[in-house]
Parts: sequence; structure tokens; C-alpha cells
Amino acid sequence: MSSPLSKPQIIAHIQKSLNYTIFDSKWIPCSAKFVSLGNFARGTGVMQIYEVQHGEAQLIKEVEKPKPIKCATFGATSLQQRHIATGDFDGNLNIWNLEVPEVPVYSVKAHKEIVNSIDGVGGLGIGDGAPEIVTGSRDGTVKLWDPRQRDSPVANMEPVEGETKRDCWTVAFGHAFNDQDRCVCAGYDNGDIKLFDLRNMSLRWETNIKNGVCCVEFDRKDINMNKLVATSLEGKFHVFDMRTQHPTKGFASVSEKAHKSTIWQVRHLPQNRDIFMTAGGAGNLHLWKYEYPAERSKKDSDDVDMGVAGSVNLLQNVTLSTQPIASLDWSPDKQGLCVCSGFDQTVRVLIVTKLNVV
Amino acid sequence: MTVKIILKVNHRCQPAVPPLRTCADMSADAVFCSSTVDYRGKVPVQHLDYGYIEKCKDVKYMEKILKVLRSGDEGIYPHLTTFCESHLEKLHPRSPALRKDNEVATAASLSKDEWSQIVDELKTWQEETKKTETSLKQQRVFDDLPKENIPPIRGSNCSIALSETSNANEKRSSSTCPLPRDYREWDKFDVERECEKIDGNVVKNDPPAIVTKRNPEIKTKVEAALLTQQEKLFLANREKDKGNEAFRAKDYEEAVVYYSRSLSIIATVAAYNNRAQAEIKLHHWHKAMSDCQSVLQLQPGNVKALLRRATVHKHTDHFQLAVEDLRTVLREEPQNAAATKLLSETEKLMEHPPVQHRKGKKILIKEVEEEHNSEDNEEKEAEAFLVEPSQPVGGEESSAAPAERGDMGNAQKKPHGRGDGGPHGNEAGNPHAAGHWRGKGGSADKYKVTPDSKEKVANGTNKRGSTASVQADQSSGGKGTPDGGSARETIDLDAPCGALPPPLSRLKNEGNLLFKNGQFSDALEKYSQAIQGYTDSAIDSPEDLCVLYSNRAACYLKDGNSQDCIQDCTRALELQPFSLKPLLRRAMAYESLERYRKAYADYKTVLQIDVGVPAAHDSVNRITRLLIEQDGAEWREKLPEIPLVPLSAQQHRREEPPSAEALQARAEKAARDAERKAEVRFTASKQDGNEFVKKGQYQDAMAKYSDCLKLKPEECAIYTNRALCYLKLERFTEAKQDCDAALKLEPNNKKAFYRRALANKGLKDYLACSSDLQEVLQQDPNVQEAEKELEEVTALLRQSLASDAQAKPRKTVPITEVEDDEEEGGATALPDSEGSGCRGEEVNINLHPTNAYEFGQSLNAARCGGNAAACADLLASTAPEALPQYLSSQLDGRTVGFIVQALDSHLLEKDPALVYRHLDHLHTTGRFSVVLMLLEKEERCRLTRLFERLSAVESTEFTRNDVQNLANKYI
Repeated sequence: MSSPLSKPQIIAHIQKSLNYTIFDSKWIPCSAKFVSLGNFARGTGVMQIYEVQHGEAQLIKEVEKPKPIKCATFGATSLQQRHIATGDFDGNLNIWNLEVPEVPVYSVKAHKEIVNSIDGVGGLGIGDGAPEIVTGSRDGTVKLWDPRQRDSPVANMEPVEGETKRDCWTVAFGHAFNDQDRCVCAGYDNGDIKLFDLRNMSLRWETNIKNGVCCVEFDRKDINMNKLVATSLEGKFHVFDMRTQHPTKGFASVSEKAHKSTIWQVRHLPQNRDIFMTAGGAGNLHLWKYEYPAERSKKDSDDVDMGVAGSVNLLQNVTLSTQPIASLDWSPDKQGLCVCSGFDQTVRVLIVTKLNVV
Repeated sequence: MTVKIILKVNHRCQPAVPPLRTCADMSADAVFCSSTVDYRGKVPVQHLDYGYIEKCKDVKYMEKILKVLRSGDEGIYPHLTTFCESHLEKLHPRSPALRKDNEVATAASLSKDEWSQIVDELKTWQEETKKTETSLKQQRVFDDLPKENIPPIRGSNCSIALSETSNANEKRSSSTCPLPRDYREWDKFDVERECEKIDGNVVKNDPPAIVTKRNPEIKTKVEAALLTQQEKLFLANREKDKGNEAFRAKDYEEAVVYYSRSLSIIATVAAYNNRAQAEIKLHHWHKAMSDCQSVLQLQPGNVKALLRRATVHKHTDHFQLAVEDLRTVLREEPQNAAATKLLSETEKLMEHPPVQHRKGKKILIKEVEEEHNSEDNEEKEAEAFLVEPSQPVGGEESSAAPAERGDMGNAQKKPHGRGDGGPHGNEAGNPHAAGHWRGKGGSADKYKVTPDSKEKVANGTNKRGSTASVQADQSSGGKGTPDGGSARETIDLDAPCGALPPPLSRLKNEGNLLFKNGQFSDALEKYSQAIQGYTDSAIDSPEDLCVLYSNRAACYLKDGNSQDCIQDCTRALELQPFSLKPLLRRAMAYESLERYRKAYADYKTVLQIDVGVPAAHDSVNRITRLLIEQDGAEWREKLPEIPLVPLSAQQHRREEPPSAEALQARAEKAARDAERKAEVRFTASKQDGNEFVKKGQYQDAMAKYSDCLKLKPEECAIYTNRALCYLKLERFTEAKQDCDAALKLEPNNKKAFYRRALANKGLKDYLACSSDLQEVLQQDPNVQEAEKELEEVTALLRQSLASDAQAKPRKTVPITEVEDDEEEGGATALPDSEGSGCRGEEVNINLHPTNAYEFGQSLNAARCGGNAAACADLLASTAPEALPQYLSSQLDGRTVGFIVQALDSHLLEKDPALVYRHLDHLHTTGRFSVVLMLLEKEERCRLTRLFERLSAVESTEFTRNDVQNLANKYI
């Protein structure tokens, strides 16, 4: 076994207690600043910008909003603009200019109920093609938005009439490696994972992981889809190898039960797609590395290609608090820097060391 | 107007609760060894016992025991728990049960150094991002520019496909039909498609059979023209990272695509280097080669690029070039393990000890070929060499052309002189024999190309056959008569052939030999066996298989079996598209079958690959005539498609030295066309010079450039190029003169300034050097090499001003930045002691011992006289590597003490690197450990002091750690 010192270490660099419940925190690309979002006890929403400076997080700006803000993304904005897109408890999708955060630059009533999850692609140089935002909501729909089109979504994925509406907990973009190809993956409270192919406008694949899907993420959005990690309510996560789709068996996967409680988040390291961190309900973080198998695909008895899953290797795990860690975001610019927030009303800036040597 | 698009999705019901995991697992693990195990039930108390746990091999059960122990239900036994944990760790180190919750680390849990390093890094990053952020904000003025390359908003055009897709979902297919439609949707209603949809429903019940293609269409270019520099850097880096990831996942094709994307944004050395590595993995030798060349253009002397180029050379059988590159690498990094390994491999492949040369069968063939040359090629050859005295003639494949044309025994004869380039090139193609070509005189040593050895054999034979059939007089001069030859040749039948294992290469060599002797059907059999063996042994070396097929095709051709010949050629071409010989052979076979159109197409392809194949030219002309007769004026329309030869294949031709035919053609042209002669020669020489530079043969390149300058003394570029050669050869004065000349012609030539700077640096004229560099930077502030060089030179300048007394004799350090963000650290640089030693060889006393005895004498004399200075001189002139050998017999405590004293008092100041190296070798002497124990206290003190002082010395040759390690061996 390697000595403990050669392992990556997770260091709590900055801890800041706040006076509101934080739902999401995101690094502002190309800066040492992050945004944290949440709701005040009085039922209003809040958006704060912090700058990491001299070992502490300094509040730069704070804006109060009428509705609590649940989730945010920078994925569909240009590097110059860096507009943040947020989803709130009322089902609104807003895009804010952080320089002038008082009025949104884009606003739409996207869903009837809370927007649980949001993701963007086509901005920041990540993903070819148009900038698009996807939102998933408790009303059971997953909607695709183009910031250039006001008022209506460009695609809407909703259950057929008569079908019980499942709560969509998480959405993620992927497969955006050229102008046409693009996929959205959505996870639902009943364990359904659905992969929508936006090029063919079809449901490409679905599966069920038996427990509510808390978070899905592709290892990279802007490549021919490679891996997908889905975390679940009961503390398991599944890594799907998305390169080889078998006509009946779908994608090969490996699963791991790591946390003793719900895994709320999974985030891949932007600088290395094979390393990801999971954040658990008991306030712990696990850092993983995916190891590819010797051959990523093999022929089955009918001579059809089927994928072969690799294995996951725990690199490090730490406990940060007793409350769940609900959000996690790696800095896109500085390898190993990440911000996370939990229901203990604390935002933390972590440094993960030695990521370049694992 | 865009239409609201709705995708109907149905959910599966929540499945029943899955069975408990333990039940399912039980059956599988029920083979537990010793006692009855009940996974479901409680762990019996008697199992919570050291003895039981020690014997237990069942991981699952151990985990269960551990769980019970940790829970404390049966009482708390801390020792037993840890014992159980350690035992489990032995059985299954990655067991989830062993995972422990760690507390999050804080600044306090790291060592001070580590933490301050992290903080510093973070700080610099913060400052940098601040800067980029402000610059980003400034650029926001251009924000409003509409970006043209963004695709339009997802729109109506995909609407129908969308509502349709729910059908693909098998379970719901029954209920999908009567979907309520939006009014707007009726506008778009397409009856036919709807019908199709309904018809197609049955079929579409299958789950979506979208099976991913191996390599989907990823654009290899990124449109980044509109982006700012920051964004470009950002993007280029990310694309490179993606490439690295794909590389790590062994998806080399994808890696190449992403590296290409990165390069299309900004061309960086790292991306080129990485792409070269990926291409090597894919066996795309030519692409890898061109990438290495690009790196070396951007950054001459890049070690990784050299190493990779050497790998390519080795695989394309250019052993000589590979060895040269590797030597260059080892000059830079003497400890480079990868280079050393590759070098020894390559040298093995080269099999170049001169003794074998005489025996080797290749030489014999060489001689045969040479005879041909000297007979029928005299004039041309002489001319060729006059024109381009050091022209590398080569290109084994092209040489096959004229020979085989003869083989065909075609009725159509052409003036014989045209084909003569062949043998010429052929012979040039074999460098092994270079030394033996006394007849060729001075030109011989200049042949550097090392083509595939086995190809040659076939070539040679082909030619012999051809000459025999065409003109009898050619074979007359050959002293390489078949019988005489075979006697000697059998010795070398086991000569390695590419990546073929010995038995196969033996078969192949036998085949070659038989072919040469005219026993074509026997040769055919051998080749067939070799091919069979190849497929059986599953070797991955398409080149070799290609050669085998190609050779067998030659046999078939000889036997008149054109059909099989075509088949084999086609196979060979599948393995190695656009390789010349199989193409030619197939063309001939087609021609003999009177399938002129196909033959024409093949000949044309050959000409695309290499225009200098006269046989192909002739045949094309002939076939054209025939086809016109046959098909009339529209004959071209009936031709099959002539494949377009990719540039890479053509380049490959060019990369090899210009073929003999090309040379021949050039020479002829020069003779005929006197006024254009100079021009042709000039460009030829220049090109050759450039080729040589690329290959690192600076001496030759210099000669070429000098020729150029004789023809056109006013070409600035030639001067700068020659300056580069001089620089590489460390002839700085000449280099400077050339740069001066270039600057006279073009007063603003950046390259000239830069090279003059390097020359000045070599001449230790740092002042002039720095002013030159400043000139370069003034013209183009982006020249990183210049900046780097300037820093270095400024430091040197300061140093030389400060203490011009005794500067350490150190070589100038060529610019080598090695990018560190590459995966695959193939070339780990260990800046260590070995090699590059720069000791002044003082000749004062009898300080040049050549054996242990002399050394012992000198050492004794010095010691008796207590003359530590003499001892230091003696050590200075002795190679550290030889020290243990010299000392072995007479090592004793006092000798060691004396040596240490000498090192300490005299040598350390002058050359700490040498001291380090001596110490590094001294302890490997026999009996050293014993002697060490016998050291006296005083000597020990001196030793300690020596190491202390040594570790205080800053040196590029060794680090403090090295010294520390070494000290541990002594003290």
C-alpha cells in the first residue's frame, strides 16, 4: 500500500458560516470568486459573491431575491459575460449579470414547481454548438432552453398524460462534441435514469437504479460521451461506461456502496475526467478514481459489441460535518480547489492536493 | 416560428424491493473452508477469537466479524479489533470495511513547507486570475459582436421526430397513437411521414439500436479566430487535456483528434509531442515523424521529440538516424533510461559490427548491385555525384521499378538508360555495406539511410533477373555469382527482419535467397510458410506482413502467375496502403493480363507517390497508347478511379532522401538544360541541406549550404541555415560570420540575430550576445527561446564580470524546455553526474595511468610524498568510472583517507561535480565496506566535512539529495 502521505489530501482551507441555508455554490470561471445561493429563514432567496483572498472568503456582493434559489450554472455563458443561470423554488429560470444582479437578463417561468436541477452547455468553450440550458423540476418535466429564445423552451421532455409524474431531481448535459450531437441525462426520484438524444430528439437509453437518483454527471460534457456517474438515495453510486451501447443490455456499469447515507452530489475534476468526488448525506466527501479495464468493449455471443466496466478506487475520504453536503463545485481554473456547502449553513473552500500524481 | 416540442416519456413503475444482498451473495460464498458459516445469523462468540480470525480466509465473514467487534455488542476488544483489521487488510487490502472516516485535514495537519507551498501557489493563482479577469472585462466591448459560428436555435425542423420518439419506447407503443396535437403542429403535418411512422411502428418496437460508432465525427479543427488570446490558451489547453485523458484511456485515435484540435487553436510543443506519441501508438509513423519535426522546428533539441523521432526511425528501419537522435538525447540527458534502452535495441537491430559485414549476405548483394552500377551506370553516376557530391541516394522501393519492369519480360522495350537509376538507388539504399564500397569512394560514407534489409534482397534479385533477361552484358561483371554467393550468404540467414520472430525471419531470408538464385517456386513456398507462421503467431506488424506478401507477389510474377500476384499485392496494399512495390508489381501483373485500365491506374498511383519511377512513366505512356487504340478518344472515361495518394504517403517519399531516379532525372536535366542547371542545383542542394538538418547531419548540411552559396551568394536564408549548422557543430566563429553576412543582406532577419546571439554566447562574448537577443526581442517579443536565452546570458554576463578568473568549463546549454504536463513520462530526465564530463586534461606528472598498475604507482608516489595536490591532479585525469577498477587491489583505509583529503582540499573547489562522481564510484570498489570500518577517526571527520561542503555546492550535475544519499553510503 502506498504511504498515506502520497495520497491526495483534502484540506479545509476556508470555512465560513452563513446566516441562510445554502443550496448551491459555484465558482465564477476565470476568477477566484464563487457564488453561493440559498434562502433566508424569512423565505426569500439570496445570492452572494465571495472572493477568496488571503486565506479567507470575503463577501463582495449580496442580493436578495423574492424566491429561494435552488441551483445555478455558468455552463451556457461566454467567458467574457459569465452570466449565471439559476432555478428557483417557484419554477423560474433566470439569467443574471453578476455585475448588475438586480434585474435578470433573461427570465422565464420555466416550471410549475421548484427547479431541482440546472445544467448548461455550449458556453465557456465547453461543448460545441449553441449555448443551451436544461432544467429539471418537481413537476416531472425536463426542459431545454436557448438563452436566445425568450418565453418558450426549445425542447420539452415530459411524461405522457395519465402517467404519474415523477420528481426530476437531476439533469446533466453530455456528448456535446460537435455542433449536432448532444445528450441530456435526467435522474428521477424513482430511480429512473433517462438519456435523451437531442440530435435525434429521442430517448436513447433508460435504466433504473432502484433508488432515487440524486445526481448524474458526465465525466466531460464536450466529448463523445465517455462515462456517466449516477448517485442514489441509499448511498450507492453507479459509473456507466457510455462508449459502447449494447442493443439490449445498454451500457456496462460498476457500482459502489460507499457512503452510509445519500450521495447528494458527484462532480468530476475538470482537469482529469477519471477523478471524481462524491458528497454524502453524513457530511463526508469521497474522492474516487475510475480505472479503465484492459479492454473497454468485447463481443457478446451474438458478436455484438458490449461495454466492459472498469473499477473505482477510493483515493481519500473525509468527514466535514454532521449535516449533508448538498453542493460541490471544482474550480475550473485551479486544479484541486473546490467549494462545497452543506445544510449546516457553512460554505467551505477545500484544497485537494496531489491530484496530478494519482 | 418555433414549435413547442414535447417528448412524451413514460416512467417505469417503482420496482419491487430487491432481495437482500446477503441472501443473494450467500450461495456464491458458501464454500468457506473450516467451519459452518451462517452469513445471515449472528457471529458465534467463539469466532471472536485470535486463533479463529487468523485462520479465517473468508473476506466476507471477516468483514462481518469486524462489524460485530466494532459495534461492541459482544464487548469491547480494541486489540482484537485492530488484529482483525490488519488480518483483513492482508486478505483484501481494498475491503470497504477497512475504510475509515478521516477528519478533514487542515493547515495544521501538513508540514510547514508543504502548506506554505500550497498557499504560495494559491496566491500566485489568485493574482494571475485577477489579471486575466480584468483583461477579460476590458474585452467585453466586443461582446455584442454576433458570433456567426453558433448554430441556430433548435427549431421546428426536428419537431416530428420528437413526438415520434415515444414510439420507440416499446411499452408505450399502444397508447401513443392518438396524441392530442397542438394546432400549430398541424401546419407542419407531413402525411407521408406520418404514414411511414405508422407503418414503421411494428419494426420500431425494438429498443433504439443506436450503437456507437468507433470514432464519431469530431471536428479536428476549432474555429478560434474570433477568440481572444486568453480564451485560445484556455481552449487549447483543455483540448490537450482531453487528448491526454483519451490517451490514458488508450483511445489513441481520439487522443490524436483532440491534440489536433488543440493545435488548430494554438500550436504548442506539448501538443505536437503528445500527438506524436499517440501516432506512434497507432503506428502512424509518418504522421508521428512530421509531428516530431514540427516540435523540433519550434524548439530544436527537444528531448522528447528527439526520442520519439528516434522511435519512429527505428520502426521505419532508419536505424542510423534513430541512433543519431538517441545520441543527441543522451548528450543532453546522459541518464535518460528510455533513450539508453532504445539505443541498445536499435544498435542490436543494426547489427553493424564490421566483422559481420564481410559475411553478411546483404553485402554480397550489394556488391552484385554495385557491379551493375559500375558497368552500365558509370557516366550517369559520375555525373550525379558531381552535381551533388553528398547527395544521399536511396529509396529502396523506387529502385524496384526498373528492375521489375524487366522481369515482366515485356515485349515493349525502351531505351535502357532510363531504367538505370534503379540499381543505383538500390545500392544506395543499403547503408550496411556503405563501408565496403570502395568503388564509390568518398560518397559511400554519406549514405545514411537504412532501409528494410529484406526488401533489398528481393530487389537485388529482381534486378539481376531483369538484367539477365534484358541484356546479358550486365550480369557479366558480377562477381556475385549465385553459387558463390549462397555459400557465404547462408551464414546470415538468421538476420533479423523487422519485428518478425527468428524462425519467420529465417524463412523469409531463405525465401529471399532462393528468389535470388532464381528458384522462384521454392522461394514462394518459403514466403507462404512465413505468412502462415505470421498469421499463426499473431504478431502485430503490418509492415512485415506487407513485405512478405509483396515478396511472394514478386515470386508469382516471376512464375507468370499474375492472378495470385495481384491478390498478394492487394493484400499487401491493404496492410500498407500506397506502398510502392506492391503497387508496381500489381501494375505489371495487370499489364501482363492485358487489363490495361487497372494497370494504368496503378502506375498512375505509383507516380503520385514517387514521380521519379521511370518504369512507371514508360508503362503509362505505353498503356496510354494502347488504351487510345482500344477505346478511342474517350479512353479516359473508362478508367477505374485512380486513388488520390494522401500527402502523408507522398511526404514519406520526400522524407527519405530523394530517390535515385529523381536524382538521375535531375542530373540529366542539368546536363541538357544548362541555364536552368544552377537553379536546379541550388534548390536541390538547399533541400538536401534542409533534409540533413532535419536529420541532424549538420556536417553534411553545411556542405550543401556551402554549395548553395557558391551558386547564389545573395540568399539570406542559406546563410542563416548554415549558421545553424555551424552552431550545432560548435564552430561559432563561422556561425557568426554567416549571421553577419545574412544581416548584411537582410538587416532585420530575426533568425540571424538569434543565431548570432548563440554564436556569441559560444564565443563567450556575452555582451554582444545579449544585445543580439535584445534585438530579436525588440522585433518580436514573443520569442520565448530568446527570452530564456537572454536570462541565461545575463546571468552568465554577470558571472563573467564578477569572477572572470576561473569560470567553470561548462558547455553551452542548448535550449531545451521540456514541457512537464505530458502524460507518459517516457523521458525522465535525471540531471545527474554521468557523462558530459568536462575535465581539463592536465598533463603535468605521469597523470595518465592506463592501467591499474600505473595508477597504483602514481597514487603511491603521491601518497608517500604526502602530495595531495598531485593526487588531486591524478584523480582529475582519471575517469571516475575506472576508479574502482584501478583501486580494487590496493584499497585500504589510508588510501581512502588520502583520496578524500585530495578531493577535499584540492578538487572540490575546482570541480565539485567531479568530486561527486568520484565519490559516487569510489564506494563501489571491492572491499570498500570493510575498508570503511577501518577508517580512523580523523579520516571520518574529513569525510563528513567533505560531504558537508559538497552538499553546500550548487550544481546542475547533482542535487543535495544525491549527495545525502551518497553520504549515507559512506558515513
